[in-house]
Amino acid sequence: MSLENLLEGGEPFGGKCSDRLAIVCDAQYRVPVLNEEALATHRQELRRGTIVLACLLLLRRSNYGYALLDALEKSGFDVDANTLYPLLRRLEKQGLLTSEWNTDDSRPRKFYVTSEEGATLADTLKRDWHALDTAFLSLKDES
Amino acid sequence: MTATSTPTDRYVAATLRSLPERQRQDIEAELRALIADTIDDRREAGVDADSAEREVLTELGAPARLAASYSDRSLHLIGPEFYLDYLRVLTVLLSTLVPLWFVIVALVTFADGSPAEVAFGGALYSALETAMSIAFFTTLVFAIIERVSAVRTKRKATWDPSSLPEVRDKRGYFTEMIGGVIFLAVIVIAVVLAQTLGAVEGPEGTKVGPVASAVWESGVLYIALFFAIASISSHVLAYYTGWSTANAITNTVFVILFAVPAIWLAASGRLLSEDYFGAVGWPEGANVIAVVVIVVVLLLTAGDAVDGFVRASKKRRTR
Repeated sequence: MSLENLLEGGEPFGGKCSDRLAIVCDAQYRVPVLNEEALATHRQELRRGTIVLACLLLLRRSNYGYALLDALEKSGFDVDANTLYPLLRRLEKQGLLTSEWNTDDSRPRKFYVTSEEGATLADTLKRDWHALDTAFLSLKDES
Repeated sequence: MTATSTPTDRYVAATLRSLPERQRQDIEAELRALIADTIDDRREAGVDADSAEREVLTELGAPARLAASYSDRSLHLIGPEFYLDYLRVLTVLLSTLVPLWFVIVALVTFADGSPAEVAFGGALYSALETAMSIAFFTTLVFAIIERVSAVRTKRKATWDPSSLPEVRDKRGYFTEMIGGVIFLAVIVIAVVLAQTLGAVEGPEGTKVGPVASAVWESGVLYIALFFAIASISSHVLAYYTGWSTANAITNTVFVILFAVPAIWLAASGRLLSEDYFGAVGWPEGANVIAVVVIVVVLLLTAGDAVDGFVRASKKRRTR
């Protein structure tokens, strides 16, 4: 189960049952178990935090919010502008990102880049993610 | 053609309105760049300018919510930590004091010679007023507690189990406070009843109650009531935020502001009406009751002030 797959909702939830029906089914028995709202909450909770990691990794190369939004989307991270922009500011406030206004373009844009602290955090989070992935895999083996 | 503000202008203004001044310029520039970039993309994809703008703003969502996620401020008056206690206090106070007050006012106005429906209407109005004041002050006190304790938790970074309040003390104290409020209400009601229903014919043919009419009409009693309520509020505040020396001092100030004038009034013979006690055939009653009032006020207030300091020092020791 890769990070992307999980975030896109590819394999674990969406693959075998239709998302449009707003019902998740047990992959084998096709028993409806969750309504749309509960599903959305669970998935959102699982994704929370992964956006932070993705931002810290993507912003190792300096970029501005809108381009970052685009890059996240292209890599399969589903995030809205109204979540991402305040998040960037919070990360900046915590010293994980630094920013700079670029006025070369016709439109002034705020460019963010991952700070040294941010890079350290990203390494830690990435290790945690892999550890979790391994843990999930071991669960699969047991069942 | 006059220049009107575009939807984007209005959206940005609505978002910035509730954000701190020093962040506004930065957020505005970034937000405008985002909106403009997104609109450009939509237009390239063939959407016309107006619908593109509308789409983009709709997706960004309500300005208030966006502003809320920009700021870390709490958007509630009373949070989950205190909400249940708030409900409990409010319910107890409303369900006891309001009906009590309604009955008292109805009886007093009726006994005063008003027709039943006037007495009933007046009492209903007065009870609603009381309910609103209770609701307002309870909410105010809890809103302050919410903010004070938010500041406090932010300040002390570590928490350890030894800072947990004593369970028995907590429950007992809660009952004690509610009891204090009810006790106060009963005293107020008793005084009001004695002064109105219990009034007798004085020597000049006018009705006199046990409290000297000069004191009764001057509004001094309202001030006393105010200090009593302030003192209860400060107790509730201290209960939630933990007793500190500051709390104990504040409490002592309220106590002194209440006790000194009360004792002075009683000791100088200004509190009680000698005419009343003469008329009921107990001339020395004014002095006896005055002494009782002085002793009770002294005991209660001194006990209360000392209690605050004891709690504050206990709190320090358990840390």
